[in-house]
Amino acid sequence: MEIKEKLRILADSAKYDASCSSSGSKRKGDLGNASFSGICHSFSADGRCISLLKILLTNCCIYDCKYCLNRKSNNIKRAIFTPEEICYITINFYKRNYIEGLFLSSGIIKNPDYTMNLIIKTITLLRNKYHFGGYIHAKAIPGCSEYLVKKLGLLVDRLSANIELPTENGIKLLAPHKDFKNTEKIMGYVKENKSHKFVPAGQSTQMIIGATKESDLDILSKSEAMYNKFKLKRVFYSAYIPVNKDNLLPTLEKPPLVREHRLYQADWLLRYYGFKTEDLLNSKQANFNLLIDPKAAWALNHLQEFPKEINSCSYYDLLKIPGIGVTSAKRIMSSRKHFKITFKDLKNMGIVLKRAKYFITCNGKYFIDTTFFNKNFIEANLVLEDKPNNAVERKQLSFFHE
Amino acid sequence: MNSIYLYQDDLLSLLNLIHYLVINKVTPDNIKPLDYAPTLLDEVINLKIEVNNDLIKQIINNYSIRIFNIIYYVFLSENENKELIIYYFYLNLLKYKTNIIYMRNLRCVSKALKISKYVSSEAHRLKGFVRFKKLKQEIYYAEIAPENNVIFLLAKHFKNRLKNEYWIIKDVKRGLISIYDKKDFYLTTESNFKMHDFKTSEDDADIKDMWKEFYNIIAIEQRTNERCRMNFMPKKYWKYIIEMSDNNEKNY
Ligand code: SF4
Repeated sequence: MEIKEKLRILADSAKYDASCSSSGSKRKGDLGNASFSGICHSFSADGRCISLLKILLTNCCIYDCKYCLNRKSNNIKRAIFTPEEICYITINFYKRNYIEGLFLSSGIIKNPDYTMNLIIKTITLLRNKYHFGGYIHAKAIPGCSEYLVKKLGLLVDRLSANIELPTENGIKLLAPHKDFKNTEKIMGYVKENKSHKFVPAGQSTQMIIGATKESDLDILSKSEAMYNKFKLKRVFYSAYIPVNKDNLLPTLEKPPLVREHRLYQADWLLRYYGFKTEDLLNSKQANFNLLIDPKAAWALNHLQEFPKEINSCSYYDLLKIPGIGVTSAKRIMSSRKHFKITFKDLKNMGIVLKRAKYFITCNGKYFIDTTFFNKNFIEANLVLEDKPNNAVERKQLSFFHE
Repeated sequence: MNSIYLYQDDLLSLLNLIHYLVINKVTPDNIKPLDYAPTLLDEVINLKIEVNNDLIKQIINNYSIRIFNIIYYVFLSENENKELIIYYFYLNLLKYKTNIIYMRNLRCVSKALKISKYVSSEAHRLKGFVRFKKLKQEIYYAEIAPENNVIFLLAKHFKNRLKNEYWIIKDVKRGLISIYDKKDFYLTTESNFKMHDFKTSEDDADIKDMWKEFYNIIAIEQRTNERCRMNFMPKKYWKYIIEMSDNNEKNY
């Protein structure tokens, strides 16, 4: 089979993995280096950042996960790259500045150890023969031996193992060959060994959204638990896209993109804003409101804590204001030492007031008559401003920024 | 009459002029490079001042590299009033020192920060969007047409990234060229640069085809979002991004 055709097949079967981030590493080599903040080289027609050559080593697989294009029972064309072929494409793409590096995943061929060895062989070649210093993200194959994870971790910038579904029941239903515990074993191992030489850009994982009945509460609780336990850099959420027909799978007309977006927003709140899952969701309200972003929804339910005075409230309080992010909060903190901030100053400071204005005062002043400070008025305006297609666009940022 | 002060087209001479004006409490109506074409209302003034070659170093030492970079990036922009913005920024810098970056209630500060952010984010974007082709002589060659004059920033980036390759980047808009000889890079103008053979190497077409194929395949059809793509990769860059320009040729 020609290398071009292999690329066609093995890129096509790799594309459902959401991660394409290339940040978090400072590697240097004879050919190439990693950029700590990551670089997007292109954007595909779906608006996703293309940073890495995202391919599978092979789409042959001994497993039969229901949601996966590569499952054993599918009658599709199969291909396998040789390590030299992968190096050839990576190096040539890299030198032309098409890509930031390689994202190598694989179906499971023969057994997990055999597959891992092929991945290791490829990346060893890339690093040692071609002295490639660009970014490499590799998948660890659940069920493989620990010493192989160790070997691979020393070669790559990021290592990940996908948990795919938030609960063991989900896995049992849709990925009957997979053992939930194996993925966590890898995560635990990576966490234990992480250093500036071993997986310097940290580990990530991915969950599929909407293939099973699990609620946002299930998903977010799982993320929170994994962040705490394994010090993950990122959890990626990937709206389920039906590629197979199976009576265990839902028939969706469109992938649940807005839901995916809400989860990314909530995930952000967990990692940078000091929120906990229980602040945002509970058994009575187990799914996010699709019309309103999670932080604004939280603020509307805690309106007694607002409006917050920009010139005196704490950093932590600033972060609770809808529309105010980490950068804006820091900017406010450092500027207000030097002058009293007015609404006009906020605009000059590049702070977007679209949503924030409902929740703040500047020197005791609200942006309009304070009689409008009530839940119905604010909620109605926020819903108008947060149209889903704006939302999906903004979301894309989160693929890239850690 | 508007008093317009002239500087040689480089940052050092601009900063020296501004420093002189500030120290002597002169308020210019504008500051422009030597080739400025004055209107009837302009009075152009070409001061002969002694150039302090260490001025940039002093700014970095007295304040910070971050503050110097703000000035530098504004200078790289195409903003019509960039010299005047730098003038007022510098004036306030002497007053507020390193606290200047927090004084976003001052127009010149918020403007300078905004422009410098715009320049640095264009440079960052182009670090990804630059596309090299491999020429016969084993030289990697790329053309760009950025809004701001960011070729120096890009050259610095590729010096580390492709340090064992020969490469050339050309800013088609400004006629500027950056050449790297595996040791260091040089900036020159189109008129000083002679190269005739731009034939690509034998494997180049093949690699390019593979890349275009990869680009088209990697998109998930059910998630198509043209607006989002356009936001992140504005059309003004497409001409030099091969997967975009070549894909579109077919439609013409
Ligand atoms: S193990 Fe991976 S490649 Fe194989 S069927 Fe399951 S998800 Fe697909």
